[in-house]
Amino acid sequence: MSPQLTLQAPVALPPPELTDYLDKLWSHDLESSSGASTFTLLVWQPAWVEQHLVRTGRLDGPVTGVVRSELLEAAREAVPACDLPLSISPLSPKLAWALGQQIGNHPIEDLRGQHIDSAISAFQPRRLITLAPTLNHGQPLETLVAAYCPLPGEGTAAACGDVVVLRGDFGALQQGLQLLQPLVPADLPCWVWWNGSLDEAPELLEALAEPGRRLVIDTAMGTPRRCLDLLESRVASGGPVNDLNWLRQRAWRESLAMVFDPPSRRDALNHVVQLDIDVEGTHPVQGLLLAAWMADRLGWHWVESHAAPGDEIRAEFERTDGVTVQFHLTPVPVGVPSSHPGSVVGLRLICKPPGRQALCVILCSESGGCMRLEAGGMARMELAEEVVPMGHATDEWEMARLLGGGHDSTNPLLATAAPLAAKLLPNA
Amino acid sequence: MTVTLTNPLRVGLRQERVVSPQCLVIFGASGDLTHRKLVPALFELFRQRRLPTEFAVLGCARRPWSDEDFRGHMAEALGDLVHEHRGAWDQFAAGLFYEPVDLQQPEHLVRLAQRLEVIDRQRATRSNRTFYLSVSPKFYGSGCSALAAAGLLSDPERSRVVIEKPFGRDYGSAQELNRIVQASAKESQVFRIDHYLGKETVQNILVLRFANTIFEPIWNRNYIASVEITAAETVGVEERAGYYESSGALRDMVQNHLTQMLALTTMEAPGRFDPEAIRNEKAKVLQSARLADELEPWNCCVRGQYSPGGSAERPLAGYRQEPGVNPNSTTETYVAMKLFIDNWRWQGVPFYLRTGKRLPKRMSEVVLTFREAPVHLFDAAGGSPTANQLILRIQPDEGAGFRFEVKSPGSGMRSRPVDMHFSYDESFGEPSDEGYVRLLADAMLGDPTLFTRGDEVEAAWRMYTPLLELIEDSPWQLPVHPYEARTWGPAASDSMLGRDGLMWRRP
Ligand SMILES: NC(=O)c1ccc[n+]([C@@H]2O[C@H](COP(=O)([O-])OP(=O)(O)OC[C@H]3O[C@@H](n4cnc5c(N)ncnc54)[C@H](OP(=O)(O)O)[C@@H]3O)[C@@H](O)[C@H]2O)c1
Repeated sequence: MSPQLTLQAPVALPPPELTDYLDKLWSHDLESSSGASTFTLLVWQPAWVEQHLVRTGRLDGPVTGVVRSELLEAAREAVPACDLPLSISPLSPKLAWALGQQIGNHPIEDLRGQHIDSAISAFQPRRLITLAPTLNHGQPLETLVAAYCPLPGEGTAAACGDVVVLRGDFGALQQGLQLLQPLVPADLPCWVWWNGSLDEAPELLEALAEPGRRLVIDTAMGTPRRCLDLLESRVASGGPVNDLNWLRQRAWRESLAMVFDPPSRRDALNHVVQLDIDVEGTHPVQGLLLAAWMADRLGWHWVESHAAPGDEIRAEFERTDGVTVQFHLTPVPVGVPSSHPGSVVGLRLICKPPGRQALCVILCSESGGCMRLEAGGMARMELAEEVVPMGHATDEWEMARLLGGGHDSTNPLLATAAPLAAKLLPNA
Repeated sequence: MTVTLTNPLRVGLRQERVVSPQCLVIFGASGDLTHRKLVPALFELFRQRRLPTEFAVLGCARRPWSDEDFRGHMAEALGDLVHEHRGAWDQFAAGLFYEPVDLQQPEHLVRLAQRLEVIDRQRATRSNRTFYLSVSPKFYGSGCSALAAAGLLSDPERSRVVIEKPFGRDYGSAQELNRIVQASAKESQVFRIDHYLGKETVQNILVLRFANTIFEPIWNRNYIASVEITAAETVGVEERAGYYESSGALRDMVQNHLTQMLALTTMEAPGRFDPEAIRNEKAKVLQSARLADELEPWNCCVRGQYSPGGSAERPLAGYRQEPGVNPNSTTETYVAMKLFIDNWRWQGVPFYLRTGKRLPKRMSEVVLTFREAPVHLFDAAGGSPTANQLILRIQPDEGAGFRFEVKSPGSGMRSRPVDMHFSYDESFGEPSDEGYVRLLADAMLGDPTLFTRGDEVEAAWRMYTPLLELIEDSPWQLPVHPYEARTWGPAASDSMLGRDGLMWRRP
């Protein structure tokens, strides 16, 4: 479905008038309709790649922050043009950085915060606040406000919401923070979606992600160490956190569980000796989270990890019966990478139950193929191969699923996998 | 049954939606259903992290219990479950409250409304409420009216009412009840329970049909010769004689559960997976279903009643000997019937429904028998080749089976039937949720897909009206045939199929 525009053109206001205006809006103009008793969604929406693509004339505007196919296409074309390896994902912060080095001065029409993906608007956010950092340094703070009511028949309820956009450079947004905090209604859940790299604006992230708020991050975006440390510390602090990178991996967990659903296979899980995971490009976090989830579920104890040539990661676990499990995470080059860095493309699990035939489970992505993992001495093993369907869900869709799911705490599987994944990543 | 280890990789993978903040009000909180099904289901939802912190259960009935009494009684009823999960129970029980309410006393409902406001403040439940009528059916209508009169159903977004079975006892009373209920609340606020729809394998009928391409092309009169729907119970009437005497198998099982299975098996594909689209198709197909012989219903229906049986060591009483049953009772404990569906897809295909108590085996299934191959090329081991059958097993041993002919080993070309089985247990190794878990969650989430809509209930009752009238007006035309306890019902039922050259499947 196409993103929806706010019904009313947003009004630009001087920042100090924002609160008063909203109060007035709700007490007079929208008096007759009830405000949706739903949630606030606060989005950090840098859309760097999109902004740079428009600025350099590689993509037609406006900039909306919503990922669309033209954006992905233009980004894929920009990867070789910026002399980056083909395995770099179109939404990678690396691409944003490289594009930033390119000249171009096309005007940018900026509609961030005003296009709401219909998957999200279906849940009728009570207030949608977008923080939209601009490329221009020194751009002062601008604030925009619009009311949003579903069209008759669009939803069952005529509950309204509003949209607030804060736009400006880093400094301006930092300054806008004090303005923003009182805009978050205290009696409704608040989701904070950090839709950008975790490396940037750490103080801002910290300020937005107050402990009670439901933080949504993407551990594919940012340096692996920073991503995993942030995830781990959030889990440790008890603040609710969701990770889109973890959610995108859903099909792998599901497929692997499926292999072991038949009770006849269950026992093999107690006899795993080797786990190999292949990821796209060089971002290991998704692969590490997958390994950590398995290790946790199967009660393996982490022993050590180290970096190996070719950006490989090797680690050792100890099973409950003391036997060692070898783990290799291998980055593989791909021609057409998925939109986010580091997607898992293959998994191999070797189980050797004593006195019985060994079992080799191979999962591979629809896009890739299993050749690399199929190579090497498995002729005498029972082979279970599955193709993992590619996720076509957009971030907005995943976000909508989270909003609809309504969980106010961290998924327990993620909560236990996060610290283990952080241990698995060798220190540089 | 052997216990299988749970699949450790499966644990926690499902992330279901969390119910929105609300207070669930259960009328009949001191009754059987509440402690046997509802509270255990709620506790299960709690343990699956599907209830928000802003949640409360307010139990209501006439007896003067306190919050603590209610918690105590529920803890006692749940027994081991509470001991195993003490911490979780304590947290859960903190959200259980009780208010003495007689649904027939308007001032009690005023007090209830005040209590709900207090709970809204205590538990931040935001005046969002689900009212569950787990009381005698005679209070369904007046209960809804009383709730409406107290203003408790006025917000269609924030209030819902769940109604237990049975919904009416014939077409007329169901219409009347619908009229009262719909005057109190919008149809979108009303959730009529049919606990069969909460069963995973009943829902699987939809998935099997509409998520696969191989079944739909043959799911019609061109390929299907007949369909059997069975719900067999081994138990007798147990302690429910009072209720059962006035209901009987037709009202207790056929009008609701079997008819729902029929609807899911025969409905057209909905345009999208949307509650109303699905319920429209179900209502439509039920509106075109009818008894095979509406003018002379005795030709297409057999009633039975179990008589003493069992073994010398474990004799089983007959229905008339059960406590609370009239010794001359003519209530049926078994009923079988033949139906037709007058539409393009099903014209001429007979549907046979049967249900009974004290049958040899507890099982529910839908059996689709396909037409025979046009020419018999091979000798069949059993004389003539067995028709292909697709068997959807609802319980126990949930799954599906397919029966087809293969070559019998040895020289020559003789064929014999074999069965291909798919079993939920073997494939998933995970017990599915108790139906009430799913249904309660869906009702609280406001998702009506698995609930029966007003027009569906009426269509179902209308279908059986000729039978109900016959039983009422001239019961001798539809005699109750005795059958020995733990046998497959009266011989007359076999004869009914025999006349069509068929036999009931013996599972
Ligand atoms: N039990 C089952 O397995 C089952 C299965 C399917 C459907 N159902 C349906 O579920 C409903 C409840 O069944 P049940 O077996 O739980 O019945 P039950 O054990 O007889 O309980 C009836 C409840 O209603 C309360 N009650 C009676 N009069 C009342 C009034 N005027 N105002 C408020 N509360 C009143 C009773 O408590 P007080 O005496 O304290 O008021 C009691 O809590 C019935 O409609 C039944 O058809 C039950």
